[in-house]
Amino acid sequence: MRFIRQRRADRVVGALLGMGALAPLVVVVGLLSYLVESSWPVWRMMGWHFFTGQLWNLGNLYAARPAIVHGVPVMPGASFGALVFILGTALTSFMALALAVPLGFFVAAASGYFVHGRWRVVMAGLVEMMAGIPSVIFGLWGLMVVAPAWAHHVGPLLNRVLHHLPFFTGPVQSETNLTVAVVVITLMIVPIIAATIRAVMERVPRELVESGLALGWTEAETFWRLVWPYARSAVIGGAILGLGRALGETMAVLMVSGDALNVLPRNIYSSISTMAATIAGQLDAALTDPTKMAIHALGALGLVLFAATFVVNILARVIVNRSTAQLRAVTKNG
Amino acid sequence: MKSGVLATMATMAVMGATLLAGCGTPAATNTSAHGSKINILETGSTLLFPLFSKWVPSYESSHHNVSITPAGTGSGTGIAQALAGSVQIGASDAYMSSSQMKPGILNIPLAISAQVVAYNLPGLNGRHLNLSGRILAGIYTGHITSWDDPEIAAANPGVVLPHHAIIPIRRSDASGDSFLFTSYLTDTAPTLWNAGFSTSPNWPAVSGEVSEDGNGGMVDGLKANPYSLAYVGISYLNSMESDNLGYAALQDKSGQYVLPLASNITRAASAMVSHTPADERVSLIDAPGSDAYPIINYEYAIVQSHQTSGSTAAALKTFMRWAISSSGGSAPAFLKTVHFLPLPASVVRLSLNQIHAIH
Repeated sequence: MRFIRQRRADRVVGALLGMGALAPLVVVVGLLSYLVESSWPVWRMMGWHFFTGQLWNLGNLYAARPAIVHGVPVMPGASFGALVFILGTALTSFMALALAVPLGFFVAAASGYFVHGRWRVVMAGLVEMMAGIPSVIFGLWGLMVVAPAWAHHVGPLLNRVLHHLPFFTGPVQSETNLTVAVVVITLMIVPIIAATIRAVMERVPRELVESGLALGWTEAETFWRLVWPYARSAVIGGAILGLGRALGETMAVLMVSGDALNVLPRNIYSSISTMAATIAGQLDAALTDPTKMAIHALGALGLVLFAATFVVNILARVIVNRSTAQLRAVTKNG
Repeated sequence: MKSGVLATMATMAVMGATLLAGCGTPAATNTSAHGSKINILETGSTLLFPLFSKWVPSYESSHHNVSITPAGTGSGTGIAQALAGSVQIGASDAYMSSSQMKPGILNIPLAISAQVVAYNLPGLNGRHLNLSGRILAGIYTGHITSWDDPEIAAANPGVVLPHHAIIPIRRSDASGDSFLFTSYLTDTAPTLWNAGFSTSPNWPAVSGEVSEDGNGGMVDGLKANPYSLAYVGISYLNSMESDNLGYAALQDKSGQYVLPLASNITRAASAMVSHTPADERVSLIDAPGSDAYPIINYEYAIVQSHQTSGSTAAALKTFMRWAISSSGGSAPAFLKTVHFLPLPASVVRLSLNQIHAIH
C-alpha cells in the first residue's frame, strides 16, 4: 500500500521528525564551520608549526602596535604552538586507557558473568552510578585527596621501587601533575568501558554457558572459551569509546593537571596540560589579546580536538556494531 | 478521582507561581524604577578582592538601593569582562595597554597596593631574605636552581641557606600580579628576563615550576610545597604571617633591600605619582630614591564610560566616589588590614575627573 492517508497532524509530526533528523547534522556542520572559520588565521600564521611548536605565547600585549606575520595581525613575539597540549592529551589518554581497560574488563567480567544473584544487580547499579558522576567532582576529589596523597606518600614509594626506569621516576614537586590526571581520567572512563564489555557478555546465550558447565568446564574455562571470543572485540570498542571520553575531559583535568605551559613533560610527576583543559583555562587570558589571535588559536585547538574525537567515536561505533552483529549471527545459527 | 486531579493541578499551579515569583531579574539588567535594587557586578583582581569584599557589606548597609557582587577571578578576566560589558567594574592590578584600550574605557585607580615575594623555607621563615630582581629573574628562568646559590648567598651574608632545589610558583590564570612581577623583572634584569611583562607572560620552561590559580592559590602552593617561592599580593600578608610563611626584602633602584612597610611604599608612591597622566595608565614599578619599595601599583577599576542605564551609571559613580574618599572606602580602617595606601590628593582629582565621565 503506497498511498498512506495523512492527516494534517501527521504532516506536522512528519515535519518535526524531519527537523529532529536533520538537527544533529546541522549542529555538527555548524560547529565544524565555526571552528574552521575561527582557526583560519592560525593556519595562515603558524602552518605546520602549530603542531610542532612548543611555545604558547600571546606576544607583547603592551607593544605600541600589532605586528603582521604572514598577513595576519598579532602582538609582537606571539607564537601558538600546541605540541605541549597534544602531547599532554596523548599521554593522559593512553596511560588512562592502559589502566582503565584491564580494570573495566574485570569489572565487566565480574558484574556480567561471575557474580550471581542480587549482587550482580547491585554491581551493575554502582557502575551505572559511577558513569553518572559529574567529572568536576572527580576533579575536586583528585585535587583535595589524590594529589597530596600521591605527592607525599605514593610517589616517594614508587620512586624507590622503580628507581631505574627513566620516565617513571623523578622528584615530586608539583602536587598536580600527569599522574593525578591519569588517575582521575581512569576512574571516569572505567564505567563506559565496563558497560560496553558487559553488554556483549550478557548477550551470550545462557544455554551456551550452561552447556559448557554441563560438559564439566569450570566457570573460568567456560568464560575463556565461550564468552571471551565475543568480549574481545567489545574490549576494543569499549576502549575506543573510553578514549573518546578521555580526550574531551576538561574541568577535572584542568583542576589536577598542573597547567603546564611551554614545557614538555619529563616524567610522570611533571605538570601537563591537555587541549581541552587549555581551551577552558586560557580563555580569559585569550580575551585580553587585542588582536583576538589567541582566541583563534583556541579555536584551532578546538578543531584538532573535534577531529580527534570524531575519528575515535566513528571507529568505536564501527567496531562495537561489528561485534554485536557477529554475536547476533552466531546466536541465530547456534 | 476528579477532585484529586484538581487538587494536584491547583498545588502545582501554586508551586509554579511561587517559583516564578522567586526568580530574580537577570544580572545584566538594572532597573531602579519600582524600588528594585541596582546591581553592580565586579570581578577580577584577587589582589583587590579582600578589600572589595570588606567594602561591600559596609557600603550596602548605608546604601540600600544598591547590591554589589564581587568576585576574585584574576585581572585578565576583570579586563575581559569589563570590555565585554558583562560586569560594571573589572578590577585589575594592570592598566590596559594601548592596543587593548578602546574609546570609552576608563582605567580608574582606587588605591595604591603592593606585591610581596614570599617563600616557605623551613627554619628561615622568620627571617626576611634579601632578594634582587636579578636573582628572581634567575630563578624564574631556571638559571638559579638552588637556595644556596652563590648569588643568593652574596645578597644574604651570614645566613645559612639550605641546599635544596627552589620551587618557583607562578600564576596559571591571567593575573595582574604576574604583570607586576614581570614588570619588576623586566625593569631590573632586562638581559636575563626577555619574556616581557603581561598578565599572561611567556613563562620560560623551568623544571619543577608549580602553577596556581589566584592569590589564594599562591598562598596554598607555598604552604603545600616546602622550599617554594611565590609572588603574592600584599593584601594576603596577614594570612601569610599567621601561616608562618616568610617574605623577602626586595632590592630597590638605589640598591638597598627594602621591606614592604607602609613607610617604604609611601616613599615609592611619592616619587612616582607625579608621572601619572590624565588617563592614569602608568607603571609605578621600581621607584627611584632610597628605601622605596619597588613593586607597587595602582589598583584599577576598569569601567565603561557609557553604562546601559542612567541609574546604573549614577549608582556606579556614587560607589566609586565613596571608594576613593578618605571617609568612605579609603578610610584607614579598611586600607590598613590589606596594607594598601589611599590615593594622594592629586590622583584623587584625576580619578574624580574620570568618574565624572561615566554616564
